[in-house]
Amino acid sequence: MAKEKMGTAIVITSGKGGVGKTTTSANIGTGLARMGYSVVVLDADIGLRNLDVVMGLENRIVYDIVDVVEKNCKLKQALIKDKRHEKLYLLPAAQTKDKTAVSPEQMIELVNELKKSHDYIIIDSPAGIEQGFQYSIAGADRGIIVTTPEISAVRDADRVIGILEANELHDPELIINRIRPDMVKRGDMMNIDDIIDILAIDLIGIVPDDESIVISTNKGEPVVMDEKALAGKAYRNIVRRITGEEVELLNLEENDESKFSKVLKLIFGK
Amino acid sequence: MRKDVVSIKGVADGIYLNVEGNDLELIKSELESKMKTASNFFRGSRFLGVRGEELSEENRTEIMLLLKYRYDFEVQIERVPEEIASVDYEPIKEIVVSESEVVQEGMTRFVHGTLRSGQEVSYNGNIVVIGDVNPGALLKAKGNIVVLGSLRGVAQAGVGGNRYAVVAAYSLLPTQLRIADYIVRPPEDDIQYKYPEIARVVDGAVVIEPYLPNK
Repeated sequence: MAKEKMGTAIVITSGKGGVGKTTTSANIGTGLARMGYSVVVLDADIGLRNLDVVMGLENRIVYDIVDVVEKNCKLKQALIKDKRHEKLYLLPAAQTKDKTAVSPEQMIELVNELKKSHDYIIIDSPAGIEQGFQYSIAGADRGIIVTTPEISAVRDADRVIGILEANELHDPELIINRIRPDMVKRGDMMNIDDIIDILAIDLIGIVPDDESIVISTNKGEPVVMDEKALAGKAYRNIVRRITGEEVELLNLEENDESKFSKVLKLIFGK
Repeated sequence: MRKDVVSIKGVADGIYLNVEGNDLELIKSELESKMKTASNFFRGSRFLGVRGEELSEENRTEIMLLLKYRYDFEVQIERVPEEIASVDYEPIKEIVVSESEVVQEGMTRFVHGTLRSGQEVSYNGNIVVIGDVNPGALLKAKGNIVVLGSLRGVAQAGVGGNRYAVVAAYSLLPTQLRIADYIVRPPEDDIQYKYPEIARVVDGAVVIEPYLPNK
């Protein structure tokens, strides 16, 4: 390495499980790499790893984060290069260990080491606020909270924002995932303003509930690469905002694509 | 030749720990470094006792506790019979066999039931799984691995470098396959075969083929 970089470590967290932390981590990581940054996505969910599967890299794992902190291998040996992106790497979690295998101090050391040679370190935190969450946030410079428009997810997000602030991780940003514009319109789903009202942090993006997410997750190809999917566009916008660009929020209701598909449905009756 | 402070001796029905001197701190640190390098090797062995002429009774108990709780050995914590401490047994002679013979016979661990994500079986011999091995599960054997079901997780045969080791399964669909120092993964557009297959190293490459060609 000719010159040492000083990258930024961003932790993706939520408190609640199943809101899309891993999907968000994979997409932000991939999106940043597509913009030309060098990125490491780090799976901190030891014992319940998924990020490798979502990125389609499961079968390349030889060493993992626990091997790195226990010095069974060099950091470079554990980093898995992405199939499609030159500057994207995955540091997988261990599956046969548990959260006690890594301490916050080891995590800080590891993240600082990664920051020297990469622009962004995206840390995919486990659900909950226990040990795994604690070491996930230890090395982070920024926090991104993922929530869904459900009261339970928002409550947990609020709790996590409080903990982040207590740990000197100020001004986290918010992603609202799985919005369904039709439901919001009918008043059956919390709208964006309601959520911002409670959480009072900056919104960095909204992602619609999109079946292309399920398809891309099962294929191991992050949706951010899908030029046609609305969720892909949402993630591309989020990534641009992370790098400091000003981008308008997606307008989910007036979507040409969905109008078009409605016309198709009318014609073909499917 | 300098005698090791701590040494482990295997006999037919288990292992003994031999200790020189009575310096507990030294013994502890030697034991730690020994276990770091060799704990897998002894895992699953029956632990028969701690032997040492100069060892005090308290220190002996301390070491037993250490083995039980720190290194996870099956230790019965009770007074060690006197005769064990005094009788000098004949160490079993090391039988020299070629590498290819090692995987023809030897100790085998049988695993009954399905291994799920996050479960790991590692054994200083062969492993036979009577059940499935799911993605996220890990098998590590010094010898062969046979799965009487679907192998979808990671299998590592020939740990320590034995290239004659094989991996066989009724349905061989591993996430990743390792034999000795070879690591392979299935091709991206893998076709699922409906017959049992075996993986072995042939001419420096891992080859997978059906072992019942007429079925």
